[in-house]
Amino acid sequence: MQKRKIMAMMLSVVLATTTLVGCGSGREGSTNTSDEKKTEATTQDTASDSEGEATETATATEGFEEGATIGVSLPWLGTQNWKEAETMFTEELEKAGYKAIVQAADQKVPQQQQQIESMIENGAKVIVVGPIDGTQLGSVLEKAKDAGVYVIGYDRLIENTAAVDGVVQFGSVRTGELQGQALLDGLKAEKGDGPYNVELFGGGPADPNAPNFFKGAMSVLQPEIDAGNIVIVSGQTEFTQCATEDWDNAKAQKRMDSLLAGNYSDKEIDGVLSPNDGIARAIVTACEDAGQPNPVVTGLDAENESVEWVWQGKQYCTVAKPTQDLVAKSIEIINSLQKGEGMPATDVATDNGKIEVPIYELDPTVVKKDNIKEVFANDPDRMALLKD
Amino acid sequence: MKVIKKVLGEDLRQYTMVLALVVLILVFNIISDGRMLTSSNFQNLLSGNAYVLILALGMLMVIVIGQIDLSVGSVAGFAGMVMAKVAHDFNLNWFVAVLIALAIGALVGAWNGFFLAKLGIPGFITTLGSMMMFRGLVIWISQSISVPAPDELRFFGAGYMPEWGPAFTGMNNSTLLLGIIGIVAFIYFELRKYKHSGEISGQKQPMWAVVTRIVLVSAIIAYFTWLYGTGREGTSFPIPGLILLILVIVYHIITQKTRFGRHIYAVGGNKSAAALSGVNVSRTYFLTMMNMSMLAAVAGILFVGRSTAAGPADGTQWEMDAIASVFIGGAAVSGGVGTILATMVGGMVMAVLNNGLMLMGVGADKTQVIKGLVLLLAVAFDVYNKKTGKASIIGRLFPSKETEKK
Repeated sequence: MQKRKIMAMMLSVVLATTTLVGCGSGREGSTNTSDEKKTEATTQDTASDSEGEATETATATEGFEEGATIGVSLPWLGTQNWKEAETMFTEELEKAGYKAIVQAADQKVPQQQQQIESMIENGAKVIVVGPIDGTQLGSVLEKAKDAGVYVIGYDRLIENTAAVDGVVQFGSVRTGELQGQALLDGLKAEKGDGPYNVELFGGGPADPNAPNFFKGAMSVLQPEIDAGNIVIVSGQTEFTQCATEDWDNAKAQKRMDSLLAGNYSDKEIDGVLSPNDGIARAIVTACEDAGQPNPVVTGLDAENESVEWVWQGKQYCTVAKPTQDLVAKSIEIINSLQKGEGMPATDVATDNGKIEVPIYELDPTVVKKDNIKEVFANDPDRMALLKD
Repeated sequence: MKVIKKVLGEDLRQYTMVLALVVLILVFNIISDGRMLTSSNFQNLLSGNAYVLILALGMLMVIVIGQIDLSVGSVAGFAGMVMAKVAHDFNLNWFVAVLIALAIGALVGAWNGFFLAKLGIPGFITTLGSMMMFRGLVIWISQSISVPAPDELRFFGAGYMPEWGPAFTGMNNSTLLLGIIGIVAFIYFELRKYKHSGEISGQKQPMWAVVTRIVLVSAIIAYFTWLYGTGREGTSFPIPGLILLILVIVYHIITQKTRFGRHIYAVGGNKSAAALSGVNVSRTYFLTMMNMSMLAAVAGILFVGRSTAAGPADGTQWEMDAIASVFIGGAAVSGGVGTILATMVGGMVMAVLNNGLMLMGVGADKTQVIKGLVLLLAVAFDVYNKKTGKASIIGRLFPSKETEKK
């Protein structure tokens, strides 16, 4: 008797769970048709811009409800700009009335893929993606497209897939040009007449921006190298030779240590091209350790510590790419999508290997000791760092 | 309690984790307002974790022989990168590229196996060396730049089974067929087991227990068939899941039913005793390591297929996820204990935990903390039970007369 009771109970529990939890939806059709149209629209080149815009708006007239879920997938929180992005996205999206899911993936590609999938599951209407590796998100982003989700690349280009609607970033070649020019100006201002002994550093090779920074900087520096005003003592001028795996400061410091030990026993180093602030500080530290005079070093991101160093004169300059601007631009696009106005028009596009991706470019600012107080006038946190 | 025992079979311990898994899924489903148990989420769960579970299959065997393989992540990354590279740079057919990747897996496995089996260098050290070597090689050959993979590979990493046949079933017919095969096969093997069950002990299993078991498992298979089959049109039980399923069946048979499988457990349980009873210990070591690296190559191929490109950091720390799955599945650090099916449950616990926390919007940092705690608690629970001779959570919640006597 008792056996039967237990059995009956177990069976009913199983049945109940299967029926209760199973109240999902039936089979839905896919939304492929609108994607195709959209891809067409985005591949329109800049000449027929107005036409392209018209098609886009036509396919995206529906918009979505206010207070919709917006997903933001960031690569990690290991540097200040990403941590800022996390905080700002959370605050700004919620201020604009959206439900924000902001996640970071600890530099692990599979983790980021799964996070994006879970955002689709959570019904996100737009997913903003700062990719760890811009080439490795193809199949999950296509899933997002199939579910009718807009995909906006953040800060880095998304490559190798048609499933991206646009990318918000600071012009990366332009950033490099500014770095190169700042290095040149700094050398002239601080190291007297040339020729100058200079070394070059590049960013993480998996980040599609890194080669562009380098390219931009070299477009300014190469003529000077050819003219003999700048001497790359180590002879390492290829991006692959100068790249810093994963943007890892420790690796940059090791490379600088060995460059100094191998080439500068009887020379002084005058300047170093550095792609970001962390690497810049690693370079300055390596030079200090080697007993070299402080070289002219560039940077990027305006991290707190480097802002202090620029103020103290240890690091010559940094380039600010205010996270605020990126986040504001992203939210502007999200708002436009929400209202059913589609992706805003832009005249810049880049080939990502599959399609021409519309790029929403922002202009960065070079920060040196003489303009630092103006640049951060509206940034109380950074102003607090500028003590006399 | 006795009834449950009869239905589930005598060994209750391995069901603790199954129960934990079911509870996890249901709890997450409630917290996330039903977003856990949806077709697309479970498709993601399999596509996104197949690579770890495939690694765990090989890792279970490595851990059972009392070794460890730290190189699997690097090997997976290397095999995937070579595959993408040869297909991209030399325009080789994708199929040839896959074969090359598998061959690389086998070669690396032979390399690891040689140092372990022939020179007697512990697996930990051998594979630590390989881990560094192949991570370096990935970066070397790729120049740290990601390489797009052939489009055909996407099928293996993120593809679905074809749609065919009548539409009135309301689901993907490939998935339906798979589910029916699953149920029929289960019933067949249960009945066969029932027929032979009395041969040794002279006491047959009670028929009602067999029937309940069949009904229970069939209901579960039917439910998942329905879940996977009724997703968006064009989706089904995912291809990486199918590959995993086939591998699980193959390796379950290898470890449980073949002589090689028995050798693995014998060597892991007591190496000297196994050698004295005529087991070729070094051959067992060699084959197990070789098999592991081949599976690593398979995992690498699937991952590249899903990612649509091979990256220089692919495979970083995958070995740790695989090892965690094996230990949560109840394998012993000292070797000799552990099963394929329990390992899969262990891997799914990690996967569901990860997935559920993501659905709730928990960050990667906190997820890591929770996963670490779960690993530690699961193993501690296991060790504690072995020491005290107590059966399991179930056994402790409902102490039966037998366990009380102990």
